[in-house]
Amino acid sequence: MDFDFAVFVNAWATVLSNPWLIVFLFIGVTAGISVGCLPGLTATMGCALLIPFTFGRPPLEGLFMLMGVFAGGIYGGSISSILIRTPGTPAAAATLLDGYPMAQRGQAGKAIGVATVASFVGGTIGALIMTFLSPSIASFGLRFGPAEFFALALFGMSMIIAVSGVSILKGIIAALIGLLVTTIGLDPLSGLPRFTFGSQNLLGGPTFIPVLIGLFGIGQVLRNVEKMEIVHEIQTAVGKILPSLKEMWQVKLTLFKSAVIGTFVGAIPGTGCDIAAFASYVEAKRASKTPEKFGTGHIEGVAASEAGNNACVGGAMIPMLTLGIPGDAVTAVLLGALMVHNYQPGPIFFRENLDIVYPLFAGMILAQSVLLVVGLSFARFFAKLLTFDKRIFTAIIFLLCIIGAYSMQFNSFDVFLALGVGIFAYFLEYYRYPLSPILLAFILGPIAEQNLRRALQISHGDPFTFIDPINHPISLAFVIISILALASMYLRMRKTRLEELKRERDEA
Amino acid sequence: MLKKSLLVSAATVAAISLATSAWAAFPEKDITMIVPWAAGGGTDTLARILVKNAQKHIGVNVNVLNKTGGSGSIGMNEVARARPDGYTVGVLTFDLARYRLSGLAPLSYRDFGLIMLLNQNPGAITVRADSQFQTLKDLIEYGKANPGVLTAGHTGAGGAWHLGLVTVATQAGAKLNYVPFDGAAPARTALLGGHVTIAATGIDEVQEFYKDKKVRILSVNDLKRHPNFPDVPTLAEAGYPLEAPILDWRGLGAPKGVPADRMKVLADGFKKCFEDPEFQEAAKARGLILTWADSAGFEKFLIGMEKTMEGALKAVDLYKPVQ
Repeated sequence: MDFDFAVFVNAWATVLSNPWLIVFLFIGVTAGISVGCLPGLTATMGCALLIPFTFGRPPLEGLFMLMGVFAGGIYGGSISSILIRTPGTPAAAATLLDGYPMAQRGQAGKAIGVATVASFVGGTIGALIMTFLSPSIASFGLRFGPAEFFALALFGMSMIIAVSGVSILKGIIAALIGLLVTTIGLDPLSGLPRFTFGSQNLLGGPTFIPVLIGLFGIGQVLRNVEKMEIVHEIQTAVGKILPSLKEMWQVKLTLFKSAVIGTFVGAIPGTGCDIAAFASYVEAKRASKTPEKFGTGHIEGVAASEAGNNACVGGAMIPMLTLGIPGDAVTAVLLGALMVHNYQPGPIFFRENLDIVYPLFAGMILAQSVLLVVGLSFARFFAKLLTFDKRIFTAIIFLLCIIGAYSMQFNSFDVFLALGVGIFAYFLEYYRYPLSPILLAFILGPIAEQNLRRALQISHGDPFTFIDPINHPISLAFVIISILALASMYLRMRKTRLEELKRERDEA
Repeated sequence: MLKKSLLVSAATVAAISLATSAWAAFPEKDITMIVPWAAGGGTDTLARILVKNAQKHIGVNVNVLNKTGGSGSIGMNEVARARPDGYTVGVLTFDLARYRLSGLAPLSYRDFGLIMLLNQNPGAITVRADSQFQTLKDLIEYGKANPGVLTAGHTGAGGAWHLGLVTVATQAGAKLNYVPFDGAAPARTALLGGHVTIAATGIDEVQEFYKDKKVRILSVNDLKRHPNFPDVPTLAEAGYPLEAPILDWRGLGAPKGVPADRMKVLADGFKKCFEDPEFQEAAKARGLILTWADSAGFEKFLIGMEKTMEGALKAVDLYKPVQ
């Protein structure tokens, strides 16, 4: 199918001439940011809760609102990542690596500002790619079978070194802990329970959000409590919200690259915005001249992950609209919403319902601008939260963590899970184990394990299927990139280590 | 005259309200419906469109609450353990038939007051449109001659579509290489991408690709043809008859021990919701086959389902009943 420009222009006219559409987009984005920034309330849930309100309205209005929630929710997650080191949505997990250190330095406002602008840029590029390349990218997504997914996850795992911090060994140990935890629950391949100790609550495996909340939120609360009596309160200033044009210009290449990566990762059914953000982050770190700055509150880190995860929103829409295959949980809900209005997304829908499809494209692009406006006007308010008395603020975070853990499945087991993980995370950090590899392993573990086994089952146990250049060229490419990435990171790390040693010797 | 009629109507109103307070004190507050699967999924959609007009048919709102986890067992267990006052009902789904049999949880239909059966969906055996297999017979014959070569993607081990295909293939003596995916969407994607040869999913889940002629459905695993797929043969027509093919199903249940009069209110109310043309229309659009059965019929269906499941689970070595 070729892109029909006249229809697209018409679609814009439809969209812009209907003020209700803009109103619903605003409502959606605002609601999305609100649910996104609260840990435990995700964009998926926001969409699911808002769908009933769209039943009585014309389909476009409802869909615009839901797209707004989607875009706003993914962006909103960054706010709590930056402020309280707990990602509001899994997609914002990579944002905390640099966002939280920035806030600690008193640059919370700027961090949120960078996240907002990066989300806008990334989201817009993602929406544009979605608009113009949907049909061609759709078939690309189909080429991802089990072998390709495993190779993609392997590439993701190579990022463990990138997020390990000082000690690679401790990073690997942390990643293995994460991998081990992902094996808990009903094994999706054999249907047998593993490590559940007879508990029904563990059948589905430890739920992602409560673990995330425990790992970062509750762990941080405990650390805050520990420091409260010793360290004198540091007054955090809100600082400037808008990053300077120069700062954003410096990261322009990262923004663009992250947006493209994010869109493509989003377009692969079965991946999500969390992986998009990490992939963008690591690529930015790999390509950077100053990789050591990442993880210490580097603007580029926040920009990369936020551009990546918001671009993913547009990417995830591609397989949903063109193939009827939702790219992730949120698009699954959107698919449901389209079906409520008696549209069945898929190849036929994409060909025959251009009156819906093109305005959706226009809406997606427009949603990004709405996001920029709403986001920037909220940013100052959010950043001010940090100037609260830390003793009260910590208690509030603790409360939010408990509510967030519970609200995921309305199951009190999850609250205890979050608390347990939180205590464990506190001690890990105390002994200087990095938490990010656990997170990464937690996201990638199930994808890697299931697809490894699936691919081997399909290949009748032949491990060379992953590097088969004829049947699985994409997989081969990922394997090569992973090895290269590992080697280059290792060499660079060794070089800095040697230089350090030399300097120490010279000084001695 | 006017006075008299006013008096009469006042008396009628009084009588009605008296009657209501004496007989229909239930329900006097909103009812909660627990859905054991995630918001936005098929079960969730069915529940939400069913209760859309509950206010009209039952007199109160029915609020849908998603309690997920444990392959649906967490939510269904919650229903079984809820206070039996009629204010908590839940959607029961296919997996209930296997928890006890495969040792996942000591939970079965015996733990519920069954209200009604809502829907039964048949599975489908699907190949790509450019596949060499034109009929189910071609496929099975090839599978017999080359055991373990054909890869069949399904939606989860021990799930309806896995067991459905296993039952057909085992009975015909064909050995396939079963590759589990995490739900219908990825299994379908793997089929389209050529990563597996066969996909076993619900027939509604391949509807769009069937319409677009991207796939060929070799059979619908049911006793009768599906109205949305008139040219797809049943198992018997394809040459592989089964007495009770495995169907995906969804129904309503309450905790055991809800007073009979309240159960009747629930059964009548939800039946009206079920008969609402708006609901019927919405379900049809999604390819969901509505099959109503009352409490007794639902129980009979579940007893039969448990028997079928026993054999199917044994065939894939997942039979480990909770003692």
